[in-house]
Amino acid sequence: MERERMVEELSKIVGKENVLSSETDLFLYGYDASLFKAKPDCILFPGSTEEVSQIVKFCHREHIPVIARGSGTNLSGGTIPTRGGIILHFSRMNKILEIDIENQRAVVEPGLFTLALKNQLARYGFVYQPDPASEKVSTFGGNFAENSGGPHCLKYGVTTNHILGAEVVLPDGEVIQVGGKALDNPGYDLTGLLVGSEGTLGIATQLTLRIMPKSEAVKTMLAIYNSLEDAGRTVSAIIADGIVPATLEILDKLTIKAVEESVHAGFPLDAEAVLLIEIDGLKDGMERLAERIMEICRKNNAREVKSAKTEAERTQLWAGRKGAFGALSRLRPNYLVCDGTVPRTKLPEVLVQVMEVSKKYGLTIANVFHAGDGNLHPLILFDERDEEELRKVHLAGSEIMKLCADAGGTISGEHGIGTEKMKEMFFIFSPQDIAAMRKVKKAFDPEDICNPGKILPEVQA
Amino acid sequence: MSRIEKLIPKLKEIVGETNLIQDPEKLKACSVDGKRPKVVVFPGTIAEVSKVVAYANEQSLTILPMGNGTKMGIGTIPGKMDVVLSTLRLNRMTDCDCDNLTLSAESGITLGEVQKKLGQEGKGYFLPLDPPHTLKATLGGIVATNSSGPGRLIYGTARDLIIGIKAVFPNGDIVASGGKTVKNVSGYDMCKLLIGSYGTLGILCEITFKLLPLPEREATLLLPFVRLEEAAQFGREILQSQYLPSSIEILNGMAVKKINPPIAQQGNYLVAIGLEGVAESIERQVSEIGERAKKKSALEIAVLRSESHSSFWKAIRDFSEGLAEEGLNFISFKSNILISRCGEVMGSYEKIAKESGVDCGLICHSGNGILYSYVFGGKGVRSKKESLLNLIREFSLVAVKNEGHPVVESAPPDIKKRIDVWGEPRGDYEIMRRLKKEIDPKGILNPGRFAGGI
Ligand SMILES: Cc1cc2nc3c(=O)[nH]c(=O)nc-3n(C[C@H](O)[C@H](O)[C@H](O)COP(=O)(O)OP(=O)(O)OC[C@H]3O[C@@H](n4cnc5c(N)ncnc54)[C@H](O)[C@@H]3O)c2cc1C
Repeated sequence: MERERMVEELSKIVGKENVLSSETDLFLYGYDASLFKAKPDCILFPGSTEEVSQIVKFCHREHIPVIARGSGTNLSGGTIPTRGGIILHFSRMNKILEIDIENQRAVVEPGLFTLALKNQLARYGFVYQPDPASEKVSTFGGNFAENSGGPHCLKYGVTTNHILGAEVVLPDGEVIQVGGKALDNPGYDLTGLLVGSEGTLGIATQLTLRIMPKSEAVKTMLAIYNSLEDAGRTVSAIIADGIVPATLEILDKLTIKAVEESVHAGFPLDAEAVLLIEIDGLKDGMERLAERIMEICRKNNAREVKSAKTEAERTQLWAGRKGAFGALSRLRPNYLVCDGTVPRTKLPEVLVQVMEVSKKYGLTIANVFHAGDGNLHPLILFDERDEEELRKVHLAGSEIMKLCADAGGTISGEHGIGTEKMKEMFFIFSPQDIAAMRKVKKAFDPEDICNPGKILPEVQA
Repeated sequence: MSRIEKLIPKLKEIVGETNLIQDPEKLKACSVDGKRPKVVVFPGTIAEVSKVVAYANEQSLTILPMGNGTKMGIGTIPGKMDVVLSTLRLNRMTDCDCDNLTLSAESGITLGEVQKKLGQEGKGYFLPLDPPHTLKATLGGIVATNSSGPGRLIYGTARDLIIGIKAVFPNGDIVASGGKTVKNVSGYDMCKLLIGSYGTLGILCEITFKLLPLPEREATLLLPFVRLEEAAQFGREILQSQYLPSSIEILNGMAVKKINPPIAQQGNYLVAIGLEGVAESIERQVSEIGERAKKKSALEIAVLRSESHSSFWKAIRDFSEGLAEEGLNFISFKSNILISRCGEVMGSYEKIAKESGVDCGLICHSGNGILYSYVFGGKGVRSKKESLLNLIREFSLVAVKNEGHPVVESAPPDIKKRIDVWGEPRGDYEIMRRLKKEIDPKGILNPGRFAGGI
């Protein structure tokens, strides 16, 4: 359909003021935090479920792709309109609809920022556990679609463990409610299936979340190492000892340097790695557990283990972790974050292999990651204007995913497959596995309207 | 020779002569709602499962997957029932990786056996699920029915604990999803789709779970209250606090009598609080929660430890065991409701049961809003039928009002015939039917027994 007519039709649904279609706008909504770019046909800002439904019905009728978008911080090209189409931007649907303390649930719109809910919950002494490092700007729609993780997901589970229901606009425009405030509804767990489906099965217009009372006590520690491998070994050893802390995050030397230059978290510049450890729960027994953990750190060659004495010290350490990607992005014009995940027993050896990849390609790789989950984030730093370097970056990225897969792991722990990793799906899945997933897509979206061309590679029948 | 008989040689060829039952007498043991399958096969490997299913699909034979059969009564009365596929020979622990806190095991092994073996590994581990049928339930059956227990308050359910599933789909494909990493967003989360799918989408063959080390200490607080409101209010108070109990159960007098826990005051409403974790925190919670209960007029504060602690929780889990066989007109009903409404709903159910003149035991995972009702209808199906049907309707209405979608988990066939055990249809059933149709176009897997006519 001609763009002008499309814009005219869609303006009738959302109002003229909620449509963008200038060349600049198309450029601005054609990229995300990945390395991909493409051009949508127009951008819409729906204000209600009903509007979303009407837009999707229109797209369904006219065979136009529709791509939901939160803040565009996803790292896998999930919001790239690779086949053109309409971007649905949720900045107008960003309200907290309900905080239901006595049932321990919150109901939110998809455009709400993750942290915005948490700030409100804090007033009641409640928390929503998942904490992607991007939570200041990441939206619940994005968290839902990517099944985002974060440092505290080690103990509390990822987004899927905290989303209990959703209002969803299906690819034909029909609106359904899956799950809800009560648990265990009869039928298939569609909520669980939709979380992490990267906007390819439907568009969430409301989400029902699990919230819980804040824990009584928390203790944050920092172990400092002269070797990255030792930090990895410590994490394996803590898990093997049967301890599941709230957090186990590793930052390597390059990351430490970048962080110290930007946010001054107090990480020692001469260390090869630091391990950020947090335990929470009831205060009783916490000191003993902390001591056990510190002992494991020391046994694995930590040169020093210290704990945050004040809330200010704790906040500072966390600022270092949360600001790490941002800090690293100051070093070179671009970065590619690999998201491979391995069994926790395999961490030390895979870290060594990642360093070898860095050497092999002559690329700078920083590591800052959710170590307790076995979720690596090698960040390859480069300049995309250097074509030769860019070529190497893609090869190295793929090689890192392969070595994670070969270690019994997977190619994405929390960032999704999107446009970026479709080829690599074959590292971990057989054509039969992919074919089964394709059936799911077909059941929801036979016309391939919702975020087409993502996640699933073509399989030869 | 009937059609199925013609197909049996091929099935024998796949699983081996001795791993197939045709003898009508023996088939009786595998009957569901009084209906008998034509043959039972016991494949010994995933490859064999795949072959059986592919063949059945080709020949349009229906398959009911079955473990130890503890939950076969859940669901609509089966229509066509050709082959029962038993998972009991798939009973290996395939990858016990305690250092990674994960376990992969085949679906036919019982959870009881898994727990025993895990308890002996290294410093002692467990799989944090505590569903009914402690000894008999197989992993496959537990996961296919999304079965859970009181400990779900702190540990979650199958959807929180499973990170990988290998299943055989209706076309015979062996489909793997997830793996042994605790985080994974590579492709659709097919594990979630399969958990609780009641064998309608695939035969679960191998499942990977997250594990935990055995808790350092355990204890139970038993707190009887005279009034339901007091009990419910106390449960809510603990739930909203910073304490971290592993379960908060509320039982009515009838359930308490049947379980007969070691307390002086039977017959009242009982709040049972399970505690698991590090020694210091358990001791503090025992004393502080006990203290609070005293102030809130609990009749006594009983603390259970070691043997009496475990046997109390086993009695809760296995409450329904054998009741369907022994009790006349036994009905069990699972209501999922808002957490804050557990007390009210229990009260309404007691009233409804009383008006219908039947006994009703109630056990509520009050921190999760899951209420199990066990109705003992007594003698005389005919005369009681209408009033029991009415009771089911009224129970459902109350649950629906509290945002739930209740399910009749067990009832005599005469009653089942008259109701949809899965309750009122939900708005998302159409998309579920589409999923079923894509994945199982011939409808060979457990057809017609699940929600939405799936
Ligand atoms: C500095 C930085 C740090 C990060 N840290 C983490 C981290 O710690 N953990 C982590 O998991 N991720 C992290 N990420 C990745 C990213 O922030 C998350 O994936 C986040 O959830 C994306 O949210 P968003 O609002 O930006 O979504 P977008 O990028 O706009 O969209 C992501 C996907 O969601 C879909 N989508 C959006 N809204 C909807 C909707 N309403 N219905 C259906 N689908 C929808 C889109 O189509 C797309 O496929 C980080 C990214 C950056 C840049």
